[in-house]
Amino acid sequence: MKKKALFLYSFTLVGIVIWLGLIFLTPYLKSRSPESNIFLYALFSPLCHQIPSRSFFIFNYPLAVCARCLGIYFGFFAGAGLFPFVRRFSNLTLPKTRTLIFFTFPVALDFIGNLFRLFRSSNGLRFSTGFIWGALLPFYFIPGMVDFLSKLKTRKASSDAKMLSK
Amino acid sequence: MKSRRPNLFIPALIGGAVAGALSSIPLFNCLCCIWIIGGAMLAAFLLVKDSPDVLSAGDGAIVGILTGIIAAVVHSFIDIPLWPFVRGFFQNMMKWVAEYTEETPSGWEDWFGGELSAFRFFLELMASAVFFSILGALGGIMGISLFGKKTQHKIQGASDASQNAGHRQS
Repeated sequence: MKKKALFLYSFTLVGIVIWLGLIFLTPYLKSRSPESNIFLYALFSPLCHQIPSRSFFIFNYPLAVCARCLGIYFGFFAGAGLFPFVRRFSNLTLPKTRTLIFFTFPVALDFIGNLFRLFRSSNGLRFSTGFIWGALLPFYFIPGMVDFLSKLKTRKASSDAKMLSK
Repeated sequence: MKSRRPNLFIPALIGGAVAGALSSIPLFNCLCCIWIIGGAMLAAFLLVKDSPDVLSAGDGAIVGILTGIIAAVVHSFIDIPLWPFVRGFFQNMMKWVAEYTEETPSGWEDWFGGELSAFRFFLELMASAVFFSILGALGGIMGISLFGKKTQHKIQGASDASQNAGHRQS
């Protein structure tokens, strides 16, 4: 189990680094060749509204995702980095419900406040609230996916046993 | 006693249809990926409601992945009739932003001007199927954590805490 968790952890960490790299690569490529870079923006478009006024700009172009999404992904990266120190691979339980509520409260408040025009958040605030929420997500994702892989293995083993008995 | 395997498809279909539709509609889609996570949480809730057994996070991940794939298909097909409206909406928005912004990047008028080609449709369908299934897995796991029946954390043959992967802390 620990080996599986370590493998999945490494895979997740590498995945999020590549993901963040692509988000920053998109405006860079757009600045190099404005005509030919529909591909990367289109790749991220199902995941994010990509409204330029709600995104950070680098190389004079917006990043591939909005400030809140960027915060969530950076938060996920930070949470994944902290995972071995906070949780350890021998304790793969899911967080408590009150922890989820605590981490979700800032992003929910920010979203609801903007939706009902109670206030208007800056991109920095959107990033920060997204970051807080995103930091919790690896603590669900890693234990859950370890359990998922174990389930797949068990199902495969039971179907193999059935085949042999036939 | 042999446990009944829960039907994953119906909860995934409902969660995927809701998430896919809401993530496509302009204004609603400003919640980005959260709709997919929410749809998978709904699917996990329906799964827990239907299942007499205690479900683990792995079950949540499975129903979440299915939800994500269904959401991707629904999202892509809703995008086709909505595309001219979405394009017009964002072009108007960019004009409004340009009035209040001193510097706008060159060529911004064309950012939302492209037609929805078969290539773009296929690319978005494939990309969303992959990304939505990852987000769906996350939502399914969170859904099981929120709505799942509490366990005593004992998995068959478990000898230490490492065997308890994917169960909520009690």
